[in-house]
Amino acid sequence: MARDDVVLEARGVSKSFGALAALADVSVAVRQGEVFSVIGPNGAGKSTLFNVIAGLYAPTAGEVLLRGASITGLAPEAINRRGLAKTFQITNVFPGISVFENVRVAAQGRTAVSGRLSSLWRLPDVEARVMDLLQAFGLDERRDELARNLSHGEQRYLEICLALATEPALLLLDEPTAGMTPGETRSATALIREIARARGLTLLLIEHDMSVVMEISDRIAVLHFGEKIAEGEPETIRSDPKVIEAYLGGVEA
Amino acid sequence: MSSAVSLRAAIVFAALLALPAAPFMSKFYLLLAFDCLLFGAVAMSLDLLMGYTGLVSFGHAAFFGLGAYATAVLLERGVLSLWLCLGLAIVLVGIYALVVSYFSTARRGIYFALLTLVFAEVVYTFFRYTQTFGGSDGIQGVPALEVLPGVAIDSPMRNYYLVVVYLALAYTACRVLVASHFGRVLVAIRENEDRARFLGYNVQRYKMAACMISALLTGVAGALYPGRSGFATPDLLLWTVSGEFLIMVMIGGLGTLAGPVIGGAFFILLQEKVSSYVDWYFIVVGLVLVVIVLFMPKGLLGLRWRATTSS
Repeated sequence: MARDDVVLEARGVSKSFGALAALADVSVAVRQGEVFSVIGPNGAGKSTLFNVIAGLYAPTAGEVLLRGASITGLAPEAINRRGLAKTFQITNVFPGISVFENVRVAAQGRTAVSGRLSSLWRLPDVEARVMDLLQAFGLDERRDELARNLSHGEQRYLEICLALATEPALLLLDEPTAGMTPGETRSATALIREIARARGLTLLLIEHDMSVVMEISDRIAVLHFGEKIAEGEPETIRSDPKVIEAYLGGVEA
Repeated sequence: MSSAVSLRAAIVFAALLALPAAPFMSKFYLLLAFDCLLFGAVAMSLDLLMGYTGLVSFGHAAFFGLGAYATAVLLERGVLSLWLCLGLAIVLVGIYALVVSYFSTARRGIYFALLTLVFAEVVYTFFRYTQTFGGSDGIQGVPALEVLPGVAIDSPMRNYYLVVVYLALAYTACRVLVASHFGRVLVAIRENEDRARFLGYNVQRYKMAACMISALLTGVAGALYPGRSGFATPDLLLWTVSGEFLIMVMIGGLGTLAGPVIGGAFFILLQEKVSSYVDWYFIVVGLVLVVIVLFMPKGLLGLRWRATTSS
């Protein structure tokens, strides 16, 4: 498992909520530059896995490594500063400030001023970076609009802009196309893929839409009742009998 | 935009400097103006927490009162230097605020408000029942502060100018702060603190810093109070005083800095005017506040904005 080009590794991660085992001994390794998707029926533990990796929950057992260093049990802000950013399934932006200010507050955290005493009186200039991101997602015309006034699709893009503005090495996307129309989903998927390539980003993705997953992913892991039942390239996964059974609801006890 | 704001602020402060020259400005009105500006400055400090960070403190009277006691204790013992009094106030309020903000910011929403209240009540009880500091009478009849040895701030006029200088400095500091990297993070925390964490910000540390700055500004305002009033009493620390600070911010306009200064001045004037006619002035003051909150949800400053945008 331990390869040099592994960006993120989860080793035997388990997470229980009381008696409920949401994740049981799940291991995944995401390599530099690839698009790795986690799929599975509702309640399979996908979001729990993301929340453990991003630091919202500490795992009950197991370990998470980011670029070879353990991030197990660290707070979300510490994990973000080590190069992991996350988007949320339910849009999670700063509703009462402008689109530009949303991305600015995300981007300024990566400047030299951030965390220093001088941040009390200085405002780093991140305009170029912010506008680059807004342009990439077609939001530059909307820069002065309050985030809450954006359409659903635009808010989904803003969500991704916020994460990208923190300059991550690894981006966790939790159903980035949730609530989008099929047309929007297609263009969003193409855009995400293109931006990830241009920036040398590694993507870890949760996605419901199978056509998106098959098109965009280099490798896929399948979760079912908190366990990983398969991992491999899209073609392998598509024909895996265990996966088909999980999705078609076999008579598994 | 920001230069327009600072130009407007400069005009206002020039007017404040010229105010004592107005023919109606008696000593009484100078002291009233002192109170208006001092409590306006306190409301502005509280606005950093309420309007910008989204934290409601029910314990700001403790920061104010602690600052006042710091000065009163030194003045009573013959230490007259303004700078030593401010120094002691900053140290005491700083230590107290560090403890309060550490524990309060570990909790959110109503729990933050309740923890600030509980800590403030502890400080109130301490001064109310400690005879060293005069118990319920507090410290009375203290002499005037001195800027330099022999240069006393012993007239209403000098006290007034002291508070104008303080307000100008505090306002400038707050304006710079809310426009800074730090200020933008505070607004992000107000808008969505969970998301701010996932962008790499240690939210509790930012909240603590905001509390500390707000508390220190309030404490320094408190330290200027005994020089004008000649006393520090436990009543200054009472939770109702914290409530009045909240009301000043609300009626002035959350998240505007200038609004709460106006709110503080308005509140003091209203209280003074109504109480000079009737004993039950709290009922009148209360009704006016209800009307403002109901019909001007953005406060007095919001009213002016609406007037300018509709014209």
